[in-house]
Amino acid sequence: MRRAFVVVSTITLVVFAFQFVFAAVGAFTKPSSDSAYALHSITGMAVIPALVLLTTLFAALAKAPGRLIALSVLPLGLTLLQALLAALPEAFADETGSSTVVGLIFGALHAVNGIIAIHVVVGVVRAAGRLAAPDPAPPVPLNATQNAEAT
Amino acid sequence: MTTGAIIAADLVIAVLAAAGWIGGGVAAVAGRRRIATGLAILALVATLARAATTVALARAGWWFAAEKVVIAGPLTLAAAVIGVRRTPMAFFFAGYAATAAVLVTVLHGYPVSPAAALLAVAGVAAATTVTWRFVHRRPSRPGTVVAVAALVAGTGFAVTPATTPEPAHQHTPVARTEVGEPTKRFALTAGTIDGAWAFNGQVPGPELTATVGDIIEVTLRNQNIERGVTLHWHGYDVPNDQDGVPGITQDAVRPGQQFVYRFVAGQPGTYWYHTHSASDIGVRKGLYGTLIVHPTTPDTACDLTPPTTSGPNLTEPFVPQPSNPRPDSAQPTSSKASNTRAGSAQPSSATLNKSLQSGSESCIDVTVPVHTLDGRLLPEPATTAAAPGTPVRLRLINTDSTTHRYAVAGAPFRVIAIDGVDLAGPTPLENTALLIPAGGRFDVLTTAPAGLFVDGRLVRSTGTVPVAPGAWPVFDPLTYGAESRISWSRIDRSLTLVLDRGLDLRGLLPRYAHTVNGAADPDIPPQVVRRGEIVKLTIVNRSLVVHPWHLHGHHVLVLARNGKAPTGSPVWLDSFDLRPGEVWEVAFRADNPGMWANHCHNLPHAEAGMMLHLMYS
Repeated sequence: MRRAFVVVSTITLVVFAFQFVFAAVGAFTKPSSDSAYALHSITGMAVIPALVLLTTLFAALAKAPGRLIALSVLPLGLTLLQALLAALPEAFADETGSSTVVGLIFGALHAVNGIIAIHVVVGVVRAAGRLAAPDPAPPVPLNATQNAEAT
Repeated sequence: MTTGAIIAADLVIAVLAAAGWIGGGVAAVAGRRRIATGLAILALVATLARAATTVALARAGWWFAAEKVVIAGPLTLAAAVIGVRRTPMAFFFAGYAATAAVLVTVLHGYPVSPAAALLAVAGVAAATTVTWRFVHRRPSRPGTVVAVAALVAGTGFAVTPATTPEPAHQHTPVARTEVGEPTKRFALTAGTIDGAWAFNGQVPGPELTATVGDIIEVTLRNQNIERGVTLHWHGYDVPNDQDGVPGITQDAVRPGQQFVYRFVAGQPGTYWYHTHSASDIGVRKGLYGTLIVHPTTPDTACDLTPPTTSGPNLTEPFVPQPSNPRPDSAQPTSSKASNTRAGSAQPSSATLNKSLQSGSESCIDVTVPVHTLDGRLLPEPATTAAAPGTPVRLRLINTDSTTHRYAVAGAPFRVIAIDGVDLAGPTPLENTALLIPAGGRFDVLTTAPAGLFVDGRLVRSTGTVPVAPGAWPVFDPLTYGAESRISWSRIDRSLTLVLDRGLDLRGLLPRYAHTVNGAADPDIPPQVVRRGEIVKLTIVNRSLVVHPWHLHGHHVLVLARNGKAPTGSPVWLDSFDLRPGEVWEVAFRADNPGMWANHCHNLPHAEAGMMLHLMYS
């Protein structure tokens, strides 16, 4: 189960990395439109939540400490927040749909939140690796909890 | 602060509250008491702020606040009451309750449903129970019991079908009335060309022009559009079987098939046509064109009609009645559009440069259908040379799915008609921007030299290019023109449409749909009216985005926006923008029997569920 935890959390990390790739694809697609972000939004709203839940399930099955399980599920909350941050720039747009400063601040937070989320996932992968290591390492992943607090 | 801004701010505050409680829980578990207390205080402050936004939303209308008071209110209260105990579990519980409160608003906010409430409780109980297990290293039996009970009950409510059986959507359109021998014939052939979808090989399609009284016949052929084609006469209140909505008024015209539309040109004005089959992709790729109907008195395009005789009869509610066909005065049958051009999908500069000199040499009558074709902005900039002082009528059409900002620079102008209906007593305007909703049309009268800008881009000019418009104030049709109130003697029926987003689980795949009254097409029950009734529609936008509303087959009279009645000319619309937080009350006379689409004209929204039907009993 610990191996499975490592594998699933690593897959989640890879998909998270691809999220940045898909965001760039959306940003550089010409002509620009919402459909340019189709891959990004499907991955963010369906694939990542499913993988995060799976990671959490395997963390629990691997009898990981409570903190690590909490850390595993944290990206789910950040992903929900991420969807909201993506919707807010449009909500704060002016009558023609042009961006406003308030809207762009929330848009910028979308990027910041993405960076925080991938740090959390890196923490989960590292902790999962230590948990699976044959030499029983300290069960509490130190830098991982620090990451969690930073959020 | 607008209601739309309060809706968005409320969401942000609610998320802060949830994050504060959960963060406090994490900090408490980690033994950082001071951080935990600080985060809990942040959460409490956010909770108080949310009480303020909820009150503000309730004052704007119960639709905006219902679930926040009935479901989120108790959850938030429980969060605050438990959260102040300052144990880790109390913080976590408060965080889950606050999270559930946000999710209810975002996933199924309106109408308030027991299913949403119970599923929220189930989620809170389940998350608390799981957390309890890890924090206290033993299971919590009451938590499990509550979670399972609420889950079962909530699912029960969710899957129980609505009590009102839905009338069948399939409907035989009201049979066509014989309109007689056509006086204007057109042929439109839909086909693909250079990646675009085009009528007669051109984007936009041919400009169809007629005179009031003409009997228009349009033969639609589909060459190779696999998704099917129809013709919807946007804003033209034709009989139901001519309305061109596939599955409702006719079958989509498949490749190789054809359909003949025939109707009386009863209303003068500026209109457009487009496919209603796979309408989002179809219109976007180019299946649209303009329909201009001139009044029976020729050479009046640039006349400023005196308010007393303008448009529909202003003392009586406007009923678009086809005037008696007058074959003797009608123009000879035209077949100019029937020659399928083998040209490319170049934006038809031919159509645009023609500058329709409607009779009088001294009037320039230009139609400007704005469109975004695969990232390309149409029409391309063009110049019509005109002597200074020449009157210019600009027929502005927005064929895109989003609002565009139009600006007439260089000369004063008047908005003489909106959505094909003349305004009463239009006054001169200057340095004012026009926001035209998706599908909407404004007719503007100005004099050369003048330039038309769309979203800051020069589209038409009469020679010298005037200075580009700046950040001009926006024209408000509801406070413009001569005040002449139309008072309906009665309202026979009131219908409400609440626009929102929500989770739609009824289809094959779950989707985050654009919803009306909590449901998404095809699961929105049709609204039923009786012939002859005066029907009031109250349309409420609870969502975070603009929805351009479009009712087929009828023009609606604006009664009020956000509770305020218009102070200017009566405004008859077929396409109007509901910005976030807005409430529009509009009315129409049910005088055109049939089954009519009633939808958001941001076509991706319509395809994502924001479409319902109005039917006559």
